Amino acid sequence: MTRIIVMTSGKGGVGKTTCTANLGMALAQRNKKVAVIDADFGLRNLDLLLGLENRIVYTALDVLAGDCTVEKALVKDKRQPNLAMLAAAQNRNKEAITPEQMKTLVAGLVGQYDFVLIDCPAGIELGFQNAIAPANEAIVVTTPEISAVRDADRVVGLLEANEVKYPKLLINRLKPRMVQDDQMMSVRDVLDILAVPLLGVIPDDERVIVSANRGEPLVLDQQLSLAGTAFTNVARRLVGEEVPLLDLTASHNDLFSRLRRFFRN
Amino acid sequence: MVSDDAALPMVTDLPNHGLPPDPPAHSPPVEPAAENVEAPESADQPPLADPRQQVQLTSVAGVVQLVLPPEADPETGLITWPEQLKQLKLRLETGERFWQDDTPVHLMAQERLLDARQLQALDEALSAAKLRLKRVFTSRRPTALAAVTAGYSVDQQTVVQSLVQSPADPGKALAEPLYLQTTVRSGVEVRHPGTLVIMGDANPGSSLVAEGDILVWGRLRGTAHAGAAGNRDRRIMALHMQPTQLRIADLVARPPDAVPEPYRPEVAYVGEGMIRIARAQDVAQQTLNQTLSRGAQPLETF
Repeated sequence: MTRIIVMTSGKGGVGKTTCTANLGMALAQRNKKVAVIDADFGLRNLDLLLGLENRIVYTALDVLAGDCTVEKALVKDKRQPNLAMLAAAQNRNKEAITPEQMKTLVAGLVGQYDFVLIDCPAGIELGFQNAIAPANEAIVVTTPEISAVRDADRVVGLLEANEVKYPKLLINRLKPRMVQDDQMMSVRDVLDILAVPLLGVIPDDERVIVSANRGEPLVLDQQLSLAGTAFTNVARRLVGEEVPLLDLTASHNDLFSRLRRFFRN
Repeated sequence: MVSDDAALPMVTDLPNHGLPPDPPAHSPPVEPAAENVEAPESADQPPLADPRQQVQLTSVAGVVQLVLPPEADPETGLITWPEQLKQLKLRLETGERFWQDDTPVHLMAQERLLDARQLQALDEALSAAKLRLKRVFTSRRPTALAAVTAGYSVDQQTVVQSLVQSPADPGKALAEPLYLQTTVRSGVEVRHPGTLVIMGDANPGSSLVAEGDILVWGRLRGTAHAGAAGNRDRRIMALHMQPTQLRIADLVARPPDAVPEPYRPEVAYVGEGMIRIARAQDVAQQTLNQTLSRGAQPLETF
């Protein structure tokens, strides 16, 4: 049974693509066969984050045009043979394909893969409709910001209306120190509004930028960073393991910061 | 007629939460704008369908009636078919199940054109909720043909009949309360020509519009408009009143910036020409006092 999961958020820049790349890689590391699909036609990024840009020969549009098979268009990852990526076309825009075509495209992967992750573009227009059409599960990515949470709420409503039931929530770029100082929405605040099961919390980490520039997802590091561990945990929860949430505040709860908070209050 | 945003008076601040029902009014009362609320269109125009009309499900004599809003076209700004279908599914899934399995459904299509594909979609949606589409009421021949071909009973009415029962009838009673058990999320607007009951939260960015009262058994954080047809006696009640904006009839108010903790159940109502908020128990007390002052027997005598 192939699980087809769309990664969506509504708002742009919250880390959908980063999460897709890391989650795809982390699932592949756990011996699952994973295909990641970039549904952001015209603004593809997923290939960059996975470091696969220069190996793309065919795109999803070539498959739909009948120029090649899905299998041929999938770019296999050399570092992790369980992972394959289907690139979006860069030279076309989102009107180039329809939700029906997207379903056909994904139907070609069903059965051969354990997971199909679809990286959804920002917004709720046709690109979003295309990305969610084939999905039977959804992960809503949000950051603890009021605008991102509002858009996530809208997206959850749209997912339910489009019969992608029971979306799960991934909170990205949480800054534990700011939450402790009451300057940022906490996980609890976000859950309070969205009322969606929580899949994981990813702390804000500068190494995400470094890994993006190098095209190597964080979960490939030998020594996993906190964000990398969080992604691995999310992957483990997705395959059904019970993993407690990371204590993100641990590194910030030393004597010094406690004194600082004490004096500030 | 739903009052237009333009016809509403300036937004005023509400008096603070939790005040007794009749506090000394610090903020200037909202000027009644009743004369502005009158429909701008002239009387000789045919009554237009409300462009924001939504799908309705009602129970009439053991039969579920499904009333579809008229067809979408760019001029009237009515919602499109896919959206109507989504709305129907939402109502079927989250609304009160006032029917038993295999209850027949009468589709009131009136002047609306429906093709076989659309009828099929309706049938599928209704079947999922254990309802059986049996009869189609229409005044359009193509719809009647499509319905007959699909095997439903058809009542083809004349156009005259449907003109008689025009929706703009001035003295009509409110529709039955609409009961929804769901979280109303950002971007979702629920409209109902009667009282609206939400079992769940109304999130920021959502909008509830009812011609009757609005009751939210949860947190009200979006916009709520009670008495949308102009009745100022309507109220908005919520367990946790933290709205973006409150509207009752032609009045608009926004809540105070300083919000009280902890939240208590509160009621918004119109008093002295402005929207006020009071704790639910105070309102109950006030209602009791009013009843007593009208000469009712004091409680002790019962």
